[in-house]
Amino acid sequence: MFRRILIANRGEIALRVIRTAREMDIECVAVYSDVDARALHTRMAHVAVPLGGELPSESYLDMDKVLAAARETGAEAIHPGYGFLSENATFARRVEEAGLAWIGPPADAITTMGDKIVSRRAMTEAGVPCVPGLVDPVDDVETAIREADAIGYPIAIKAAAGGGGKGIRIVRDPSTMESAFRAASGEAVASFGDGRVYLERYVDGPRHIEVQVMFDAHGNGVHFFERECSIQRRHQKLVEEAPSCILDEAQRAEMGAVALQAGKAVGYRGAGTVEFLWSNGSFYFLEMNTRLQVEHPVTEMITGVDLVREQIRVADGEPLGYGQDDLSIDGHSIEVRINAENPFEGFLPSTGTLHNLRMPGGPWVRIDSGMYRGLEVGLQYDPMLGKLIVWGRDRAEAIARMIRAIQEMNVGGVHTGLPAALQVLQHERFVNGDFDTHFLESLDIQSPPEHEGIVAVAAAIHRHRLARRRALAPSDAARDGWLARNRSGTARHVERAGVAGATEGIR
Amino acid sequence: MKTYVHFGDRTREVEITERLGELVVTLDGEPCEVSYAEADSHGQVVLNHMGKSYAMSIEGTPHAMAITLAGHRYDATLEDERERAANLAARAKNKGGGVVKAVMPGVVVEVLVEEGQAVEAGQPLLILEAMKMQNEIGAPGSGTVERIHAGAGDAVGAGDKLLSLAVADD
Repeated sequence: MFRRILIANRGEIALRVIRTAREMDIECVAVYSDVDARALHTRMAHVAVPLGGELPSESYLDMDKVLAAARETGAEAIHPGYGFLSENATFARRVEEAGLAWIGPPADAITTMGDKIVSRRAMTEAGVPCVPGLVDPVDDVETAIREADAIGYPIAIKAAAGGGGKGIRIVRDPSTMESAFRAASGEAVASFGDGRVYLERYVDGPRHIEVQVMFDAHGNGVHFFERECSIQRRHQKLVEEAPSCILDEAQRAEMGAVALQAGKAVGYRGAGTVEFLWSNGSFYFLEMNTRLQVEHPVTEMITGVDLVREQIRVADGEPLGYGQDDLSIDGHSIEVRINAENPFEGFLPSTGTLHNLRMPGGPWVRIDSGMYRGLEVGLQYDPMLGKLIVWGRDRAEAIARMIRAIQEMNVGGVHTGLPAALQVLQHERFVNGDFDTHFLESLDIQSPPEHEGIVAVAAAIHRHRLARRRALAPSDAARDGWLARNRSGTARHVERAGVAGATEGIR
Repeated sequence: MKTYVHFGDRTREVEITERLGELVVTLDGEPCEVSYAEADSHGQVVLNHMGKSYAMSIEGTPHAMAITLAGHRYDATLEDERERAANLAARAKNKGGGVVKAVMPGVVVEVLVEEGQAVEAGQPLLILEAMKMQNEIGAPGSGTVERIHAGAGDAVGAGDKLLSLAVADD
């Protein structure tokens, strides 16, 4: 087994990997940008290497710097987390060329699955059901109109190089096909520098259901059942759960088998997620994410399997050591993402410094979070600060537990999406399992007005107290000064620990 | 002292009098029996009312607070009687003009107007880049650009002043 691995990421996912690695007695090398000198992953790793820079391109996305850090610290493998370099085939190749193990899938699998058109062709050949549509990009408007008639409306025009819902246009009526085609093509050039678009049937009222798969290097593969991720906004997921309440046992097994088929077709190794659109009893391949997903904990909660441990084991060449029949679902799990965003203002990003942080606890509540008091939430990085995960014996118990946990939680200093998640969990349609991927966007997020009276009283008394305190003790400035000094002191300490890390850091 | 607490376009009136160290509170003119305790000096408070306990977290300034109660968040603006009178007078004077603020954090890409320039309602005033998108910020009403608070290349936070408009007298 590896003695030391480097984690090329930040935030909660870096911590997630560090935790498992520590349990496996593997030393962790963290890398960090200037902004993250005090971040939790920097503090919790055995060794922390500064990459410098503030922007992702100057730090976590800089392949040379990350590889140099691995070389300097003697790391034997690199875990990319999600985002950043995790789905970069060039990086995967360079890691292996440097003689290190890549805790991820083969570079070729990343390349194939990273291109919508190439992956669609590969999946169709492998017998994986795809949304009715064209495998090849459409060159001109005339062909588009003709092919659209053959596929059947409504039609979705998608950018070949797109992702995350960008560059998608929905056409419900043939008469608007021409203008929509030109607009989509132009937008694709502007956004991705690649004007290729393709057509497919637009699936109405879809649910987003994905299957977690894991392959070793010896041809063995299993799936860890599905996750339902239909509670999303602009393709950003907010609430995820496992299992999905819409699948029966037969369809669950079928979807799992199809997901394994998809992975095998590209010679997959490691952890991956095959995403499907589910609509009226049918499901279609959407894409495969060639990395660990944000929402992987719900799968861990219902299967009892540590997916990061499995990733590290198979990257080291170990066989899985178990088969599909050894896996089963126990209970129900829900995850809520804690994003720095304002759900009352259209989910615009929210920035600030975290304080008044209260984490929920109690039975079957798990927190994967990079949050700490004093964390400055800026716009440089992903707004996801952490995740709240619960387990229950059944779905109703898991929902009740998640509501309870959100009510315990407090994140001061920024807005978060938690009030929106709470509204979802308390909504009759969510409780009944009657929702699709448009459900969250259809909600008007607001806090219950019946509590406004008591809240107004508290706010007014608080203001009254603040005014009196200010009048009595004009020493606020002195206290703030002390806090500011203390804070920069901490930053200096972490900088000093720098590369030397483990041994010098502990004094 | 009366305090007006605004939640969007809804307003609650809270009157607080201190009698022998005890707080006497009315809500919208009705007596409201509460006890209030601070759990710490960072905005964790507990309010007891009608036999129920409400644990809240309050942050912000005396004029704009965010209150979290059992997972729900309430954004409120507050003003006392004096401030209310002053704010009403200022709004009447500005007639929809006033300060244009950034609704989200971002970077000012370009300022399209100059101080003293007359602008029409809806006319683009500046371009703010946020969430990797360039957003045109338009004039809320016709008038004159009084002051420009942010220049090209400046990073602004949500709620920061961008520029002030004086509305023309008809």
